[in-house]
Amino acid sequence: MSDSGAVTTGGGQPGAAKGQAQIPAPPKKVKLLVDGIEVEADSRDNLIEAARRIGVAIPYFCYHPRLSIAGQCRMCLVETSDAPGRLVPGCQVRVKEGLKVTTNSPAVKDNQRGCMEFHLINHPVDCAICDQSGECKLQDYYMEYDHQPSRIRVQKLNKPKREIFGPMVVYDAERCIMCTRCVRFMDEIAKEPQLAVVERGSHSLIATFPGQPLDSKYSGNTVDICPVGALLNRDFRFQSRVWFVNKSPAICAGCANGCNVYAESRGNVIYRLLPRRNEEVNQVWMCDEGRLTYHATNDKRVEWARTGKGDSAASVGPRIAVDRVVELLKPLAGQGGIGVAVSAQCTNEEATAAFQLGAHLGATHYFMGGQRAGDSDDFLIRADKNPNTAGVRLAAEAFGVKLHDIQAVDQVKALVAMRTDGLLPDRLGHLEVFVAISQNEDAASSEAHVTLPCKSVYEQDGSLINWYGRLQRTWESVPAQRADAAPGWSWADGILKGLGASGLESAAAAFRALAEKSPHLSGLSFDDLPEDGIVLEGLLPSEWPARAPRPAPGAHSVRGPQTTPPGTKVGDEASGGSR
Amino acid sequence: MTEPDRRAEGATIASPGFSGTEALQDQDPLSLEAEIPTTPMTVNLGPSHPAMHGTVRLTVTLDGETIVEAIPEIGFLHRGFSKSSENSTWHQVLPYTDRLNYVSPILNNTGYIMGVEKLIGLKPTERAEYLRVLGGEISRICDHLTCVGAIGLELGAFTVFLYAMEARELLWDRISELCGARVTVSWTRIGGVATDTPPGWEQRVRDCLPRVMELTNEIDTLLTRNRIFIDRTRNVGVISGDEAIDWGFTGPCLRACGVNYDVRKAHPYSVYDRMDFEIPLGSRGDTYDRYVLRIEEIRQSHRIVLQCLEQMPPGPIIIDDWRYALPPKKDVFGSIEGVMAHFKLIMEGIPVPAGEVYVYTEGANGELGFHIVSNGKGKPYAIQVRGPGLPILSALPRLIKGHAVADLIPIFDSINMIGGEVEQ
Repeated sequence: MSDSGAVTTGGGQPGAAKGQAQIPAPPKKVKLLVDGIEVEADSRDNLIEAARRIGVAIPYFCYHPRLSIAGQCRMCLVETSDAPGRLVPGCQVRVKEGLKVTTNSPAVKDNQRGCMEFHLINHPVDCAICDQSGECKLQDYYMEYDHQPSRIRVQKLNKPKREIFGPMVVYDAERCIMCTRCVRFMDEIAKEPQLAVVERGSHSLIATFPGQPLDSKYSGNTVDICPVGALLNRDFRFQSRVWFVNKSPAICAGCANGCNVYAESRGNVIYRLLPRRNEEVNQVWMCDEGRLTYHATNDKRVEWARTGKGDSAASVGPRIAVDRVVELLKPLAGQGGIGVAVSAQCTNEEATAAFQLGAHLGATHYFMGGQRAGDSDDFLIRADKNPNTAGVRLAAEAFGVKLHDIQAVDQVKALVAMRTDGLLPDRLGHLEVFVAISQNEDAASSEAHVTLPCKSVYEQDGSLINWYGRLQRTWESVPAQRADAAPGWSWADGILKGLGASGLESAAAAFRALAEKSPHLSGLSFDDLPEDGIVLEGLLPSEWPARAPRPAPGAHSVRGPQTTPPGTKVGDEASGGSR
Repeated sequence: MTEPDRRAEGATIASPGFSGTEALQDQDPLSLEAEIPTTPMTVNLGPSHPAMHGTVRLTVTLDGETIVEAIPEIGFLHRGFSKSSENSTWHQVLPYTDRLNYVSPILNNTGYIMGVEKLIGLKPTERAEYLRVLGGEISRICDHLTCVGAIGLELGAFTVFLYAMEARELLWDRISELCGARVTVSWTRIGGVATDTPPGWEQRVRDCLPRVMELTNEIDTLLTRNRIFIDRTRNVGVISGDEAIDWGFTGPCLRACGVNYDVRKAHPYSVYDRMDFEIPLGSRGDTYDRYVLRIEEIRQSHRIVLQCLEQMPPGPIIIDDWRYALPPKKDVFGSIEGVMAHFKLIMEGIPVPAGEVYVYTEGANGELGFHIVSNGKGKPYAIQVRGPGLPILSALPRLIKGHAVADLIPIFDSINMIGGEVEQ
């Protein structure tokens, strides 16, 4: 980030209270008529947003509620009482008391039809091979506003067809309609102006600067906001047609920010992650690294439970594996020298189950594992690359245990690991018993005496707490079962029951067990957690990165939906896609 | 066919060669005229029985040869029509309608598409209207031929069946030339039809119709004044006009009772108001009238087909609006506009305006109604079918009660139940 001073104090805004954004002046209400229907709009609204309030759709390509106005596509032209006889861009014109707006007059319709015809003059016949097919604004608007055969009899312009812009993005200039949303996004949101319009007229195209690829950490968002198939995600390209995938809400597991996402999956394979709107966490954006986190759910998974390691490893059914764990742990229970390692990748429910199991075994040491810290910035990327460090700490506090560094595992002779992130294999050799509940095959899980396959965060119900204390739900977003994988808490449940203790029947039961112990969660119930999360006031930090989205003033005391504060622009871009 | 009529009062089994009559009459308790004590017997007919039309089961309670009770059981051919339709685009529903009445699918196609067009407020091209009526009436002839042929077959007149099948094959050949399939045609489209008549087709129809009518007349000659046929069908399965209305009869079964109701005349749709044809009516409402009525209707449909061929104007067979009709392939593969329209129509379907309609047309067996609800999306919100067969099948126990078991099949045939539309 060009202007990043990674962390600033005092909320980054002068005079703002701890953990709170500056309180904006309440918006003024303005009344106007859209197609004869009275609309009460916010004085900051443009005509597109005002019309949207009553469900009147003014079409647009270049306008985006979070970007500056370009007036580039001319699709949103409407008639107003202020300028009779001519058309004005609905994106640029602000509402005004008593203004009469007409969105369906013959002149407006004719302009929309003509606009579409112009946009399609040089557009290639690509739908069959284009990733955007099925979520393309050109397709939607053509059917709605044009639906006429081509009248063009000249050769279409040929332009660069596959320009690699950067690690995430590839550009097809022929499909581009020059809305410049991507250019404006890089300037205004990513604050790394890496894209520009070059050439003129119908020859114009989007380009990077010489020697400067589109390597921003937010470059993937340009693909999302591209209304057509010009910018494509190299990771997703040609992997799946968009109408074949199931879109379900999830939380990105890439870092402590906990961006709200949609996981798109077919069968047990995730194909892509798209940002899901949450004004207080990620607005409508997410980082490129986060977009790739789903690969750990698809690749190198521990598929089946196994006993033994190396040459003596044998795949076994889940019940036999749990029996074996019980057989190994029972003689040691209460003897001391037992450690429990909990990764910060765990959900609260998995952590709770691990601590409960540790308590029953009389564990003497608890360790905190997780992914190594990485880079950060002042917007959405946190240095802590685990989604639930705060949650694991909260659970440890609730169970009254002290978390040691993961490297201290040589102090114990038996170890149960709830996820194996951060465990170093060369420190595990001395263990008499090592039980690993592990999502991916890694060096540590290959050292385990019993390995149990764990579901990823995208595959299980649970909850996570992000860096500033926002408790958010995760869901079983990938419906299909992968081999014998089960949530970590359910493995712990089986082991606890095998040891003669009462277990945790469900994620909700695990959350309840935690909420009973933790004052931060008192009164909360798993099933009633709102989709967009709840702010735990006690965890709010004192320092905020300058541009990090944060809870609206006072909102964190409200336990309920809060992602759409009054006056916020509700656009179709909220769906996370490019619309 | 020589089985005596057991319904006749005091019938006896007598043979001229039998000489022991007097001796038997002496032994009164063993007399052949004595009442044979019977116990009610329950017999299953179907669901997979060669004489059952469609997969339906009748649980028949018999007292000797007499039917005491018959309970039809449907469900063996249930295909989830309504639910399947909700998960299909408007055009994808068409193949399901083929299978409602698979003997005259064009009539079902037309009924359904008329409903969708009514929701949109769309009028198909004139040539398409004529083609629909033309194809529909050819289908109606096929349907009636099937019913008439089968009733002959089941009463032992196998020749009649073969004649009917020959005529039906001639017509189905024309249908397959027109639609590309004999039975599963899926031929209509929103705003028109899928294919135009191939070159020389109209002449081939004109050429084969005389043979069809010749065969129909042959059947008429063989059956209509045949003593045996009359004995087996006259006054069998009688229902009065009022009662038939109460049961919800429509179509030939209702008109056989003398009730003049034909949707084509009562509420003319498409181009039926330009056609000169008559509605034949029966008087007794028995199996015989239901048969004769179908023979007459074949003749009327023949008239309509000829008029259609006469009047049908040249022109487009589907409206030229890419919001509803698929673009020509030249444009789909050659222009972005065409490929987009094609993509949207196929992948998402036609956005039919929200609303609710009931359309009713004259199917081969009666009023075929489609109740269609749209919520503005590319797929139907709900579709229900008023198949003519269900109310008529419901009355089957009433029709066959008290008759001999041998009359069951002719009565059942004369109502021409089609499994596909009874069970959706």
